[in-house]
Amino acid sequence: MIKIEHLRKEYPGTIPLKDVSVEIRDGDVISVIGPSGTGKSTLLRCINQLEKPTSGRVWVNDEEITAPGCDITRVRQKMGMVFQSFNLFGHMTVIENIMLSPVKLQGASRQAAYDRGMELLRMVGLGEKAMSYPDELSGGQKQRAAIARTLAMDPDIILLDEPTSALDPTMVGEVQAVIRELAKSGKTMMIVTHEMNFARAISNRVFYMDEGGIYEEGTPEQIFEDPQREKTRRFIRRLKVLEILIRSGDFDFPGAYGEIQRYCLRNQVPFRMMQHIQLAFEELVQQTLFPGEASPDIEVGVEYSEADESCTMTVRSGGPSRNPLDRQEDLSLSVLKSAAAQASYEWREGEERPNRIVLRIAP
Amino acid sequence: MRAVKHAAALWMSLMMLFMVMASSAEEATASDLGEDYTPPPGQYATLAEMGDKRIGIPNGTSFDLMVNRMFPNARKPVFNSQSDLLQALTTDKIDAFPSDEPVIRYIMGQRNDVTYIPEYLEPFELAYCFPKTGEGAKLCGEFSEFIDCMREDGRLAATQEKWFGTDESAKTMPDWRSLPAINGTVVLATDGDYVPFEYVRDNEVVGYDIDIAAQFCAEYGYALRIEVMNFDAVVPAVQTGKCNVGGSALTITPERAENVLFSSPNYTGGVVLVVKAVESGGGTSIAESFERTFIREGRWKLFGEGVLVTLLITLLTILLGTVLGFGVFMVCRNGSRIANGVTRCCSTLIQGMPMVVLLMILYYVVFRSVNISGIIVAVIGMTLSFGSAVFGMLKMGVGAVDPGQYEAAYALGHTNRQTFFRVILPQAIPHVLPAYQGEIVSLIKATAIVGYIGVLDLTKMGDIVRSRTFEAFFPLIAVTVIYFALEAIFIFAVSRIGKAMDPKKRKKGKILKGVKTDD
Repeated sequence: MIKIEHLRKEYPGTIPLKDVSVEIRDGDVISVIGPSGTGKSTLLRCINQLEKPTSGRVWVNDEEITAPGCDITRVRQKMGMVFQSFNLFGHMTVIENIMLSPVKLQGASRQAAYDRGMELLRMVGLGEKAMSYPDELSGGQKQRAAIARTLAMDPDIILLDEPTSALDPTMVGEVQAVIRELAKSGKTMMIVTHEMNFARAISNRVFYMDEGGIYEEGTPEQIFEDPQREKTRRFIRRLKVLEILIRSGDFDFPGAYGEIQRYCLRNQVPFRMMQHIQLAFEELVQQTLFPGEASPDIEVGVEYSEADESCTMTVRSGGPSRNPLDRQEDLSLSVLKSAAAQASYEWREGEERPNRIVLRIAP
Repeated sequence: MRAVKHAAALWMSLMMLFMVMASSAEEATASDLGEDYTPPPGQYATLAEMGDKRIGIPNGTSFDLMVNRMFPNARKPVFNSQSDLLQALTTDKIDAFPSDEPVIRYIMGQRNDVTYIPEYLEPFELAYCFPKTGEGAKLCGEFSEFIDCMREDGRLAATQEKWFGTDESAKTMPDWRSLPAINGTVVLATDGDYVPFEYVRDNEVVGYDIDIAAQFCAEYGYALRIEVMNFDAVVPAVQTGKCNVGGSALTITPERAENVLFSSPNYTGGVVLVVKAVESGGGTSIAESFERTFIREGRWKLFGEGVLVTLLITLLTILLGTVLGFGVFMVCRNGSRIANGVTRCCSTLIQGMPMVVLLMILYYVVFRSVNISGIIVAVIGMTLSFGSAVFGMLKMGVGAVDPGQYEAAYALGHTNRQTFFRVILPQAIPHVLPAYQGEIVSLIKATAIVGYIGVLDLTKMGDIVRSRTFEAFFPLIAVTVIYFALEAIFIFAVSRIGKAMDPKKRKKGKILKGVKTDD
């Protein structure tokens, strides 16, 4: 139904979309997730050409809409869009908002447009608000009215750009309920959202966007339960990552502790856990791994999951195989055990830094 | 002697006129009056007493040079017109002001609280002026010949007696409207508020200068057309050829003679100092003032005509200016660089220029060689200014509409133009209307300067009436009240339109026109 090939969008100073190629099939309900600034909205807006792509092509039902001379207004009539900020026309009543486009663009009679409009309004639960002006509605009501307005054009696909992000938490539910109904009805939809549970519940495909494109794509089960790629996993588990690389004998350890502290404060890591991270770093890296090396090559990764408030420290180092956890009598090691709930060593043949120690930091 | 305006600095730079101050002007000394007439006694009897007094100067005339020369120690406040000077004198804001003798004699016929010191500050000669072109020279020659001839056969003296006398009923004009244009048309520039040389009576321009010009036209086979304008505008109008004769009690001076040609003098007289009379016969009653301002000679009709002209200019300007501003906005709306650049230049030029200057540039420079009514020029000038204001308002009003409104309309499949008219403009108008109202009020006030290009609007009519009654109160109050009334009417009309256009004030039946609802 919609085919996107090598889509690229550049703004002065930033490139939100580097190279996106994807196909959207009839009946798909696609959730687009990902950190902010990764081009989710830009992708949506390039599909209905509210943003002009820098390069690349988009086909809708075998018609190339990026071709010069394509009548984009006609294509847009069959491609609804729901905005984060609702964008109801402020000078018209709700029913006029809905009637305007069918009457003016599709030649519907006012009566037909009105009847269909009322039907849609009742569907979204706003039958009583037909004669209200947008500024008399709550945020949730506005968004439901906007959805009704989009549906009035009977679009083949609906693009929803963060439809609940601007809403009060108490109003998110009513809008999600309407969208959920729509998804069930078999409409093709593409929805940018930050509500993971919602995305998971309504969609049959999920795009995780990062690094200027669709970083990982799959069914909701694949993406939410078993993400294959690192950044997806971090995002789904809401992981906050800190990386420290030690490649010099003159490494600035006090600086590293400062960095750990700032990272913990920024991500609201509990105070005890922060102490444990610093302790583990000190005992394992500064006291145990570092001293023996003439040219150290140690990579320390700290991952804190906001989702379950757990923290993992992964230490990789080069050189020959050696397991510091073996040295039972070592004082540092016994201190380390108080900071880590679990520790394991593994030799990973062929990797850049084959020695790998994973610590689960104690809460 | 009013005439030697040393051209307002404005004019100098604007028209690139090269006016050399007459440094070689003859050393004038006080001389006795030539006529057999003694004015009633005043507060001061001789010029010698006036050395350190306050002497009011009519703005832009050569009187100030003369007064400076004769009374270097006097204080010299500047006033705009003779009526203002009279008002200042009788309210003791000044002790004296210079005036041409016949003028003050006429005024003394109207009121008895002023008189003059019976000594000339300086003698002078008044004449008609002509453009320095071949045709101008020819016309000048004919005028001079005619005036000399009149002086010979006594007609000049008779005409003077008629106009400078006190019997108003004797002051009749020859019929000049139906003169055939056998040899062409004399277009006479005059200011119409300098009794008795040229003034408006019974809503017609009459006076000594006009009479002679009419007699000339009858005898030499010219048709006559009279263009009334502010005094400042008379010489430029002749110089630029908009009019081919200037007849406005113009003094012959060397500096002036560099720019225009002068005929033989049609009047020789002197400048005197006007002072308060010792015995004033008591002020005039309010009823009498009112009668003089509005009733006598049907002067209320002058106000009526002035209002109509002001109204006409205002209405046309609002209509055309709105259309212009909107049209330009539509061209510039989609950000065309060229259109926006040109518009920015034009509107910076227009808005950065005093309206008077803009109008004068249009009248004397742009339409110099086009025979065009001052009203049209006024409308054009005001339209440019109003249009650029409308453009700015629209830009601001449209800019105030949330960009999301465009996106929603585009996403539904409306074109750029449809989006603008269906969604954006209706929401921009409420932002624009208050500023629009303010702009209309400014416009109405701005029309008060059209007298500079020969349009007889409300303000100018007020001046004309004041120049006849020598009273400031009623004409000024009347003009003020009328302006307020006009402004109120326009504000009311615009706010009605605003209410009619407010989408939220529509009735349900109108919103759902053509739709049967279930309830």
